[in-house]
Amino acid sequence: MDRRKLIRKIVVYAVYILLLSSLQVSYPNRLGFGGQTADLAFVFVVLTGYFNGFTDGAVVGLIMGLVRDCLAPIAIVGLDGNVHITAGIGMLVLFLTGVLSSAFFTKRMHKNIPFAFVSIAFCTLVYKLGGHFLAYSWTVIFRLAGGYDLGFYEIVVRSCLLQTLLNLIAGIPLILLWRFAGPVSMSEQKRTADDVIKSNEDTSWLQI
Amino acid sequence: MKKLLTAKWFIVLAVSLLLIAGIVLSFLPGSPLKAVVGLSSNAVSPAQKGVKATGNAFSDFWAAIADGIAIREENKTLKEEIADLKYRLNQYEEAAIRYEELKNAFHIRDTFSNYDIYGASILSREADEWFSVIRINAGKNEGIVLEQGQSYPVVDTEMNLVGRVIETQGSNSMVLPLLHEGFSASGKVNEVNGASVIVSGDAVLKKTGLCRVKAFGKAVKLEPGTVIVTSGEGGLFPDGIPIGTIVSVDYSNPTEVTATLRPFSSIGELEDVFVMIPFNADDKKEGVPETSETSAAPVQGGQG
Repeated sequence: MDRRKLIRKIVVYAVYILLLSSLQVSYPNRLGFGGQTADLAFVFVVLTGYFNGFTDGAVVGLIMGLVRDCLAPIAIVGLDGNVHITAGIGMLVLFLTGVLSSAFFTKRMHKNIPFAFVSIAFCTLVYKLGGHFLAYSWTVIFRLAGGYDLGFYEIVVRSCLLQTLLNLIAGIPLILLWRFAGPVSMSEQKRTADDVIKSNEDTSWLQI
Repeated sequence: MKKLLTAKWFIVLAVSLLLIAGIVLSFLPGSPLKAVVGLSSNAVSPAQKGVKATGNAFSDFWAAIADGIAIREENKTLKEEIADLKYRLNQYEEAAIRYEELKNAFHIRDTFSNYDIYGASILSREADEWFSVIRINAGKNEGIVLEQGQSYPVVDTEMNLVGRVIETQGSNSMVLPLLHEGFSASGKVNEVNGASVIVSGDAVLKKTGLCRVKAFGKAVKLEPGTVIVTSGEGGLFPDGIPIGTIVSVDYSNPTEVTATLRPFSSIGELEDVFVMIPFNADDKKEGVPETSETSAAPVQGGQG
């Protein structure tokens, strides 16, 4: 990739990271339904990993996570019973999301656009189920006051499925943006993606 | 070795372990990862403020076009209301003078007289179900200094409870909202000798904007519509801050009555909040600059 394209790519990524993260925390009510909020930043990281591969997905995920930790961090009840603001959970979550989406059927599907929705749904489900599992483990193992009293319906329907639906809806404009104003032009992306897939055929990386 | 260092699985594993170590360390004061996040926050905040301001301007512009006729009608009504309110204001000013005279005469205790109240705007809200801490634009630079184990109440413009400050940075602070499952406050029924209750956030109820209320003892009577205020027990929240009203009550366990509560404060729609800092905590500030040219400043001093 030549210098001009690289600069364009970095600038576009920076704009999207700041814009989507800011929109996410400034207007959550307008992006939400039923207690869940469509996660623009998360969907963008999934698309980055899916369309542009491991390096872009991991780096954009890390930076997007850092911005999330700045703007809307997680507060966790610690072992001392007090609530603590943590740093790094956003980075870890979005980094792993970028990595996961870069390995999700990108080879077999040649990074086609319709399958990006499947990638969004899959990554969202993994994120939500993983999050609930960790939250449950944290409260149960360390026997924190209050416990984790979410039932099956709450976790599966009102949390996982609803969030997946909202993220899929958020994916429509974001994929259009990616198609017409993305960090890499679509023709370039398709060519690079196919080249990478061919050259990586003998690697043991998870890419399916 | 070079092959190992460039292997994707190794990169993922190494970065993940580093981040997990950072997360664990972030529970301790002076964590390096928190310092990085704090510095990044200073860089990101202006961009986020810009996006928010642009969004608000666009929203206002659109509303002005869409609601033009309605606004003219509303303007007419508001002018009439202003005239009426001016008249009432004059009367209330008279009443306020009388109140001050009576207060001095009868030594009426002002509930919040021991608190400095700092105004602040909400910068960012929850990003999703778990990333749910609110950030406000007042921090150490504005005089809101939080020592280990301390926390300050946050209220809305109607003095209803919103949450509490749990961390302060240079020019912003993190607020744990009332609906967060880690939140807990001592409350009481807003009556003379009202029963004591515990109000806490709940992972299920927060999706519908409700909190959990627990009360112990058979004599406790809660019913829908009952108003709950802070009790002052525990020392964090002063007595008498309105929290919300009871929506439903469950008496199935006779020794522990549980209920749901709808907060008075509509946290999702708030723009401005107030941080209440007790005078004695304020006195502990050492080496902190005086309130500078910022939006946060004490808006109401107490009587001490």
